Amino acid sequence: MLRPDINDLLTQTGPGTPMGALFRRYWQPVLHTEELPEDGCPPVRVKILSERLIAVRTPEGEYGLMDEFCAHRGISLFFGRVEEGGLRCPYHGWKYDANGQAIDVPSELNNSEFCKNVKLRSYPLVKVGDILWAYLGDPAQQPPLPTWEFATVPEKQTFTSKRLQECNWLQALEGGIDSSHVTWLHGGGPSGAGLEADPLFKGSKGNHYNKSDLKPFFEVVENEGGLLIGARRNAEDGQYYWRVTPWVLPNFTMVPPRGDHPMHGHFWVPIDDENCWAWSFDYHPARELTDAEVAAMKAGAGVHSENIPGTYRPVANKDNDYLIDREKQKTGELFSGVKGIAIQDSSLQESMGPIVDRTKERLVATDAGIIKARQKLRRAAEALRDNGTEPVGNIPEHQQIRSVAIVLPADQPFVEGIGEAFVARPGVAQTTV
Amino acid sequence: MVEPILVSSCARATTAEEAAYRIDYPLAYARSTRVVAFDAAAAEVVRAVAERPWGQAQFYTASDSPTDLVTLAGEHRLIEAEVEHSDSVIMVATDGINAAAVAAVGAACRERSIMTAGLLLTGDGTLSGDTLAAIRPHARILLVPADQDDLVELLTAIRA
Repeated sequence: MLRPDINDLLTQTGPGTPMGALFRRYWQPVLHTEELPEDGCPPVRVKILSERLIAVRTPEGEYGLMDEFCAHRGISLFFGRVEEGGLRCPYHGWKYDANGQAIDVPSELNNSEFCKNVKLRSYPLVKVGDILWAYLGDPAQQPPLPTWEFATVPEKQTFTSKRLQECNWLQALEGGIDSSHVTWLHGGGPSGAGLEADPLFKGSKGNHYNKSDLKPFFEVVENEGGLLIGARRNAEDGQYYWRVTPWVLPNFTMVPPRGDHPMHGHFWVPIDDENCWAWSFDYHPARELTDAEVAAMKAGAGVHSENIPGTYRPVANKDNDYLIDREKQKTGELFSGVKGIAIQDSSLQESMGPIVDRTKERLVATDAGIIKARQKLRRAAEALRDNGTEPVGNIPEHQQIRSVAIVLPADQPFVEGIGEAFVARPGVAQTTV
Repeated sequence: MVEPILVSSCARATTAEEAAYRIDYPLAYARSTRVVAFDAAAAEVVRAVAERPWGQAQFYTASDSPTDLVTLAGEHRLIEAEVEHSDSVIMVATDGINAAAVAAVGAACRERSIMTAGLLLTGDGTLSGDTLAAIRPHARILLVPADQDDLVELLTAIRA
């Protein structure tokens, strides 16, 4: 259960809100590079943190992200012409550079003098990996560029997708933290059929541990950038099999690895208070992804989704009841009847409504990871609002993180046992079972 | 089979408008929770938290007797009787943990399939392996480190 005022605080990320201010201390993924594929390509509408923006890539290759609407009459610059040096509104010809500065207002006699006073609000937009990242906060507080391992390994070692999730960002994030749902929703419960059916999960010894111990124990441990959430199951000789999920404030999570499959993770980025982007990535720190792996990812296997061609909306969505297959639900082939990990999550999280009323929850002790994450988010937002305290998670040291799967002696704290395994190290393979 | 329409379709049912039609009724306290402090420092925290208004939560400290818990009023009670009708037990400890008492409470919970959670309060962030080893087998979920607010938030979240 959560008080209504705290639910509001955590779920509202628009300008002027405490959680919105927190998000505006981080670089956030806003576009896949394929959305602005070449110099001088058409501009793209962007909505993030409840702000309507337009992204542009000039003929000179400069990226820009600015207010979507022309300063003159409020025309959407989606209709703008990308020209040398910027973007021109087609209505009366006002032209802006990539930073939103007006550089040509044809109707004005003293053109250059008039332009000095016309600037659209703009934000930095930079390419790191195959993602364009934006920072919507105070320029004076801009953190270092993102250094997440998935975005900085060589191009052929990583794959990123995104999908529209039609609910508040916190519902999606909490799914990423909630390790206890994996056994049922994705694993298929006692049959364990779900994990072995997915080409990006199958064949791992960890699947066997998952299947043979359906009631894991959990340990939630503070980490500098957020939390480490360890789920332990019984292994051979009295040892424990640990799956360690890192969460870094405010919206980054990773999935513990399975065998030598690529590692997975997510960013959950608010579009507005009732929609978010679920960014999903796969990467291998020490080798290129195989053609078969990339093909599976593009087809929606693992944590990815099959999207409607030309869009980032999943083929299975709320308009078609997520293509639920009651027969497969009945036989157990698909525990919820919905195909694919990503859509299994989105179907249930969207069913909660755009912003779930957390005053009605009946949480249990195994939800302690979610409870702790909410507490840390609230504290971070309040500390920033009340004292200007800089939040964690926006510096390279906190972003050099990995998920881990490992077998450890029963008496060893998992944080001690995994040692440096949860720290990203270029070229060093992940610790996995 | 006839395909459902209107509120049976996800597109309609997931809207904010439809959320307003969720049945609104008072929820009972979901948990009959016992909170046990296993050392003196933890007892201070538990006493402070116990002063807040709770539903059915009851608070104890560990006893030197392996069969007893001690209420905050100082009365000795049998562990088995106190956990008999609970559905969750929160174990609170610092580095001065009473391992025998943890094991006794843990065994009583395990026999009755009662959910257990452990909060390890580490004021300076340090925690010995012995403390962890003592509580780990008996807590289905552990928070490390935890503080007084964590106990309050956990009890609030589970409607204790």
